[in-house]
Amino acid sequence: MDWQAFFLTLRLATVTTAILLAVAIPLSAWLVLGRARQSAATGWLAAVEALATLPLVLPPTVLGFFLLVLLGPRTAFGRGIAALLGHPLAFSFDGLVVGSVIYSLPFAVQPLVAGFAAVPSPLLDAARILGASPARMTASLLVPLARRSFLTAGVLAFLHTVGEFGVVLMLGGDIPGSTRTFSILLYNQVENFDYRAAERTSAILLCLSVLALALIYFRAQGPRAQQPKTQEPGARGRA
Amino acid sequence: MRRILLRSKSWRASLPTPFFPFLFALLLPCATAAQTPLRVAAAADLEPVLPPILAQFEQQTGVHVDATYQASAMLTTQIENGAPFDLFLSADMGFPQRLIDAHVADAPDSSTPVPYAYGTLVLWARKDSHLPPPSLALLSNPDLKRLAIANPDRAPYGRAAVAALTSLKLYDTLKPRIVTAENIAQAAQFVDSGNADAGLISLTSAFTPRLSSSGSYFVVPRDLYPPIEQGAVIVSKSTQRDAAHKFLEFLLSPAVQAQLAKSGLTPVR
Repeated sequence: MDWQAFFLTLRLATVTTAILLAVAIPLSAWLVLGRARQSAATGWLAAVEALATLPLVLPPTVLGFFLLVLLGPRTAFGRGIAALLGHPLAFSFDGLVVGSVIYSLPFAVQPLVAGFAAVPSPLLDAARILGASPARMTASLLVPLARRSFLTAGVLAFLHTVGEFGVVLMLGGDIPGSTRTFSILLYNQVENFDYRAAERTSAILLCLSVLALALIYFRAQGPRAQQPKTQEPGARGRA
Repeated sequence: MRRILLRSKSWRASLPTPFFPFLFALLLPCATAAQTPLRVAAAADLEPVLPPILAQFEQQTGVHVDATYQASAMLTTQIENGAPFDLFLSADMGFPQRLIDAHVADAPDSSTPVPYAYGTLVLWARKDSHLPPPSLALLSNPDLKRLAIANPDRAPYGRAAVAALTSLKLYDTLKPRIVTAENIAQAAQFVDSGNADAGLISLTSAFTPRLSSSGSYFVVPRDLYPPIEQGAVIVSKSTQRDAAHKFLEFLLSPAVQAQLAKSGLTPVR
């Protein structure tokens, strides 16, 4: 059993999910608050939302190929990053993080946008009339009221990164300990006709995913049952 | 029921009038293609080589050939699991032999695959590389930070690359600097995009217009690796055995063998 690949994948998924939540919260809040205000920037909002959804459309290997070229030393962007980090991004763990963040972006942004959009607009209007800044509205209204969508966004982004294959295949170079993830290991085993090992690897992957998902959804059931009771007075108190 | 009929009527009315002729035109080729094409599963290194040969074959015999290019190992798995191919052109002898042993494929008058060409391993680098042009000395250059090879577990050229590096006693030193690609096409891509400094790929890839304009190659001496003998087998449950035989004969004919030599393979006769 190649535990190195297993822990590498967990590390990649954890780092990616952390970065994605940090990026997706302000991005989704900007999209939802902008939409609610119907400002002149609606064209921009639509363009940004379309861009953030684009990784769903592109085949992962194509995305990986574009990143390989973009991050390579033949573009100014790639040279800049290499100078900044001291090493080129392709064939490195950092490169996979960049690829995974882009690849899983829609899976973090979509649930958050849906969750933020479900926050009652009278609350947002009231906050705006009282002079709250978008940052304040995000921190005091959107984030606490849509906290359940954080779970969905985090879980989806994490699992999507664990199952990521095409981008890693194109960008990784199959280096043990740095870019050989669990899905690449599994693919290698299948391709080398080592079906026994492949069965073991996929069994571990499936068991752990089901376990993690069940645990998360089990924990999510609790607060939901109590939510109507606790939320009402809280919302009133804040208003 | 009535409502459904009504709805279907309005659905039809909402379509533009040229829709049905268009649909008909779209489906027509399926009905008129009386002759089923010969389906060839071909190793990735044949992608730059085979298309003109297929066109000539169609011109001479009237048999249309559809080719699928993949890593030999991948095609082997697909054929083992019933992929509807008629002929398999591998980049080695091991994979087609595997299919013969599994009684999924066979070779005319033989229990071993029919060799149709030998592959040539080259060291390829971009012309604008900061390193000296490809040579054996480049492999021991400490500034060579990334060397791309195809996966040695399944790509015949990857196996040859590891064998050559081992003969040169460089494999252990270079191992941490090797990046492994799916097949030679991807290994070439790693180098062509500038992410790897050099790559061990096939001469057929180095001969393609794209790579010959952007880079230069060095032929790895043949005594450094076991010959990359490429073999063909006919898929046993093929319904096109005659056409498959005919194509195999065509591939082994002197004219086509000479053509292979020009595109980076070594002829078998």
